[in-house]
Amino acid sequence: MGFHQISVRVNGNDEIITVASNLTLLRMLRETLSLTGTKNGCAAGECGACTVLLNGEPVNSCMVLAVEVDGQEVITIEGLAKDGQLDIVQKTIIEKGAVQCGFCTPGMLISARALLNRNPHPTEEQVVEALVGNLCRCTGYSRIIESVQAAAERS
Amino acid sequence: MTTADHKTETMHPVGKSVQRLDVLEKVTGAAQYTDDVPFGNSLLYGRVKRSPVAHGIIKRIDYSKAKALPGVKVIVTGDDFPNLVGLYLKDKLIFARDRVRFVGEAIAAVAATSEEIAEKAIDLIEVDIDPLPAVFDAEFGATKDAPLIHPDLANYECPNFIFPVPGTNIANHFKIRKGNAEEAFKKCTSIVEKKFRIPHVQHVPIEPHIAVAQVEPDGDVTVWAASQSPFSQRSSFAKALGVSESKIRVIAGYVGGGFGCKAGVTMENVAVALASKAGGRPVKVRLTREEEFFTNFVRQGLIINLKIGCDAEGNLLAMENTQYWDGGASTEYGVNITRAGGYNSSGPFDIPNITTNALCVYTNHPIGGAYRGFGMSELHAGIIQCMDILAEKIGMDKVAFLKRNAIQGGDFNVTGMKMHPVGLQECIDTVAKELNFGKKEPTSAPNKKRGKGIGIVWKAPSMPPNAGSSAEVRLNEDGSVTVSVGGQEIGQGTFTVMAQIAAEALGVAYEMVKIEGPVDTRYSPYEWQTVASRLTWSMGNAVRRAAEDARKNILEMVGEAWGENPSNLDIKGGYVVSLKSEESISLKNIVVYGIPRPGDQGWIGGPVLGRGTFMPSYVTNLDKETGQGARAVVHYTTGCQGIDLEIDTETGKIEVIKAVSVFDVGKAINPDLVKAQIEGGFIQGMSSAIFEEMKLVDGVMKNPSFVDYRIATTADLPKENIALFVETAQDDGPWGARGIGEHPMTPTIGVLANAIYDAIGVRVSNPPLSAEKIYLAMLEAGKIS
Amino acid sequence: MTSAHPGLPEFDYVKPSDLSEASQFLALHVSDARPFSGGTDTFVRMRDGFFNPKYLVDVKNLEGTRILKFDASEGLTIGSAIPMNQVVAFSEAAAYYPLLVDAAKSVASYQLRSRATIIGNICNASPAGDTIGACLAYDGVLNVHGLDGHKKLPLKDFFTGPGKNLLKPGDIVLSITLPVPPKGHAGQYFKLGRNRLSDLSIVGVSALGYKDPSTKSGFTFRLAIASVAPVPFIPTLAEEILSTEPLNPDTINRAAQAAMDAVTPIDDVRGSAQYRKYMVRNLVKRAVNELQHKLTA
Ligand SMILES: Cc1cc2nc3c(=O)[nH]c(=O)nc-3n(C[C@H](O)[C@H](O)[C@H](O)COP(=O)(O)OP(=O)(O)OC[C@H]3O[C@@H](n4cnc5c(N)ncnc54)[C@H](O)[C@@H]3O)c2cc1C
Ligand code: FES
Ligand code: FES
Repeated sequence: MGFHQISVRVNGNDEIITVASNLTLLRMLRETLSLTGTKNGCAAGECGACTVLLNGEPVNSCMVLAVEVDGQEVITIEGLAKDGQLDIVQKTIIEKGAVQCGFCTPGMLISARALLNRNPHPTEEQVVEALVGNLCRCTGYSRIIESVQAAAERS
Repeated sequence: MTTADHKTETMHPVGKSVQRLDVLEKVTGAAQYTDDVPFGNSLLYGRVKRSPVAHGIIKRIDYSKAKALPGVKVIVTGDDFPNLVGLYLKDKLIFARDRVRFVGEAIAAVAATSEEIAEKAIDLIEVDIDPLPAVFDAEFGATKDAPLIHPDLANYECPNFIFPVPGTNIANHFKIRKGNAEEAFKKCTSIVEKKFRIPHVQHVPIEPHIAVAQVEPDGDVTVWAASQSPFSQRSSFAKALGVSESKIRVIAGYVGGGFGCKAGVTMENVAVALASKAGGRPVKVRLTREEEFFTNFVRQGLIINLKIGCDAEGNLLAMENTQYWDGGASTEYGVNITRAGGYNSSGPFDIPNITTNALCVYTNHPIGGAYRGFGMSELHAGIIQCMDILAEKIGMDKVAFLKRNAIQGGDFNVTGMKMHPVGLQECIDTVAKELNFGKKEPTSAPNKKRGKGIGIVWKAPSMPPNAGSSAEVRLNEDGSVTVSVGGQEIGQGTFTVMAQIAAEALGVAYEMVKIEGPVDTRYSPYEWQTVASRLTWSMGNAVRRAAEDARKNILEMVGEAWGENPSNLDIKGGYVVSLKSEESISLKNIVVYGIPRPGDQGWIGGPVLGRGTFMPSYVTNLDKETGQGARAVVHYTTGCQGIDLEIDTETGKIEVIKAVSVFDVGKAINPDLVKAQIEGGFIQGMSSAIFEEMKLVDGVMKNPSFVDYRIATTADLPKENIALFVETAQDDGPWGARGIGEHPMTPTIGVLANAIYDAIGVRVSNPPLSAEKIYLAMLEAGKIS
Repeated sequence: MTSAHPGLPEFDYVKPSDLSEASQFLALHVSDARPFSGGTDTFVRMRDGFFNPKYLVDVKNLEGTRILKFDASEGLTIGSAIPMNQVVAFSEAAAYYPLLVDAAKSVASYQLRSRATIIGNICNASPAGDTIGACLAYDGVLNVHGLDGHKKLPLKDFFTGPGKNLLKPGDIVLSITLPVPPKGHAGQYFKLGRNRLSDLSIVGVSALGYKDPSTKSGFTFRLAIASVAPVPFIPTLAEEILSTEPLNPDTINRAAQAAMDAVTPIDDVRGSAQYRKYMVRNLVKRAVNELQHKLTA
């Protein structure tokens, strides 16, 4: 099986790593770079727990090959807070009590951040659509939706 | 990083909605779940060879080709682990030996240097199985004609409150014989008789099961697991390996959702088995999402025959209740769900005459285990609908009917236990008021039909009579507090609640308390399991006692130093104060270093440590033939749910407009967490009621993925999901608290079905209450064409 | 029963530098190599063991695959490397091809559509493919590069069975061109899943309509239905009824019934054949009513 050397910027750090052809971006982040905040809930593009930003757009990192991100930029949950300051959606998700087991939370937050980047003032239905690929079994979602709306109001 | 701009100090946090303890870690990706623990390059990856056959005799297992594959380090089979395990009934092997009993059952496992190699090796293991006739229907399985799945049932070890019937597939037969139902039915003016089928569903935590095991140099085994039950897992691993508990250590970090499926032991044993032969290397076993669906504990299917009757005034007189629980290939845990189905079989109703037969039946389906509600969603699905039908039959207002028959404090319930005070009447009133029950609302479009449904539930913690809790409270130099517990944070917020309890009992601010984690059976105090909605109550009592113990030690120390009677001292806001002299001293330093005696006469006190335990002492067994006894359970949490919905008559789709759930929690230690449990629980209940079903065809699950097994998403929510509670104190709960974790999803199937009926005039009674089922039912009834 | 692979099975990632190299590589390794774009179908099928390629050929860098342009005479051309979200966000797509954008927005989730492509959806040739109906209704033509160079394949003849299409060894779809649609047309995708959003369709009706003085009814409707036949299904009789008879509730009912009678769905985990048939009728009716409303409003 082939190996490839790639260079990728992850959370602002430039990394040069060797990856196997079948290594997914999800496994690269978790296993090669020890960025375990990104979660594996299905490895099949279905649950959204593995969502990260690839060149600013959210992707299911289990559905992207590591070799494909050569020369690209990735942001994970670990890179969401800046200069010791939580992102506004991280703050509002806390305030709304929208975290329970927390396993969906990193992916939710990345999807929410991506939405607010492309649409700073989404309607409720737009929030619903943006998060529909992030499954949560604990919270019943409504507090999560509210926290994205609250973040939009505040920024 | 903090979200608060200034440091808050919450005094007397019990009853306040303080912020969760674990939340900063969880929003930054720092929270460590089991799959996140680093093990370095020596880590081996385990995969499992599984049975493709539902029932059969294993003729041959040949793993020579797999063994020869470079990178394969360990292969284990049933011959390596002959001991039977199980939480209640010991009827399960880690790996099938002579016989396989469900599709997906583990037959062998491989540990290799990579997951890819392990997976290849699995494909190289050859297994020949001679199929046997199988059982896929619990009602049939209970008959004499059914093929026997466990011929050795007579020899299995089990506790004295489980009643297997050797020579049959019945692993537990629980009976209620209260009053004389047969005679009482003769006095009934109205009787409803109905059969319900509740399909298998899955728990679907977003984190799949995972365990890592490693043998330490001294031969002890350490297991890291996503676990609701570190301590009962320790016992089970010990049993499987034939060693004592102290040789096993379970470390359990944050759990990415449990809902019961991470209670007891499922796949964790495989990691232990592989590690025991891996020469000290750690072995990780992680279920794929597909395996999570078809090999893990399931919520058992249930077939329930109900017959309920009342008099002309609407007083319930009699019930006959026959339950066939589809226990699956092993009923180690399921036997106790059946027992719960039996001793709760009346639902929260005062019925003087009851005959119940609750049967746990072996089938060739996946193994049943605990699922949020422990049988109560399934049981109430039928009861809630029957009550609706009965009220309509006698022409009585549905709310009035529920209120007339709802169980009350002082009633002698189905098992003869005298009920403690419950706030069920208030729950019903609140739902009826919030929902404007009885008022027909307008529809949003001509092709829509609108309706409302209501129902009530109860549930007691289902556990052995002597399930215990313990806690330790330590104080640190800076006056902060560390609490050690053995119960697990699985998302419900228990660590937060325990910190609130400790802070309140001790007299310090909530922010001063931390909970030690991860739970580690080597250091953490014992806790039976994180199940049964029991932690706030049971572990909460232990924490409260531990904090009170610490408080007593502190007050005695200061009392001695000040020459005052400790009863005149109090701890307030982190200071010990004298009620007499109004003197005060900070907890800082003194709780570790003690207090110098006046005049350089030495020291008093020292490091402060509090200990607390709790175990109910009053639960008695029930009579085997009648199911009657003094006190079957510790207490009941009761509640009411109502739903207002609309149905699109062109597609059959349900749109829930408003849901109202009201439960009697005794005391809400953290009101916002209570509401979060109710909101999330309702959505899980709604999801399982509308969308979910394991499509089992000849024992094979046809939909083992999120694409094919749908759960609710952000797009499927009611417009309003209202969560409320009432507080009727529990006499032995901390500040009166009792559990609420499971209950919110238990009424939902029945309440939805009632609302659907109210909307379309057709009863669709068996979940999933899918658009298709509703559409075709309307069609068949001639409501549409 | 095959159990899904925990990650992706082993393969070699290949990224050809030009079209002829790509086509030759794919032709040489007919049974061993597979092209991919977003990979969202390919990876899932590899995990499930349906695909076992030795080589995965990334065709996203090849000439002609990154195009996304609208031309007033030629129409809209969408390269095979263009993920659905980019199509949705492309203002001319929204302006001139509302049905396509509506259909694309219904696929899975936003993050999946950051990767999933319309060409992948078409080549995958699933009866449930949500964007296929729109591409059919807009008379799409595939621009393909094969061993013999460039060729065009009209979409209407492209599908030969579930998961099967006309592509030959070495063929790479570079893009799809959708001609300029009739002025003032209305289009909408009516997708019924188990969940309100994000599910695969139980039934999906792509509907496009426009005022057409050349027909008796004064309208032409183009319909394509997902998940009801081995290939994306066009209910021609229904279309004919809608253009040859005065457009009134009775005509619409009969057209909807004709669509229902023509489809040949199967039972699967998402729904039964019986339910699907009724849903074809009801959704076709809903679609035509909705479009008529839009066209006459
Ligand atoms: C969780 C999940 C949910 C989904 N939900 C939906 C849904 O709601 N609706 C829906 O329609 N689909 C759905 N899909 C399927 C899939 O996302 C779509 O079919 C998508 O459009 C495929 O595009 P792709 O670029 O990712 O395809 P790829 O996986 O890259 O390719 C798909 C097929 O096309 C071939 N192919 C790709 N590019 C070329 C090319 N340039 N030339 C020749 N052949 C090529 C590949 O060999 C493969 O056979 C879902 C998939 C997942 C994983
Ligand atoms: S792990 Fe990638 S979507 Fe579930
Ligand atoms: S908080 Fe548990 S899955 Fe969302």
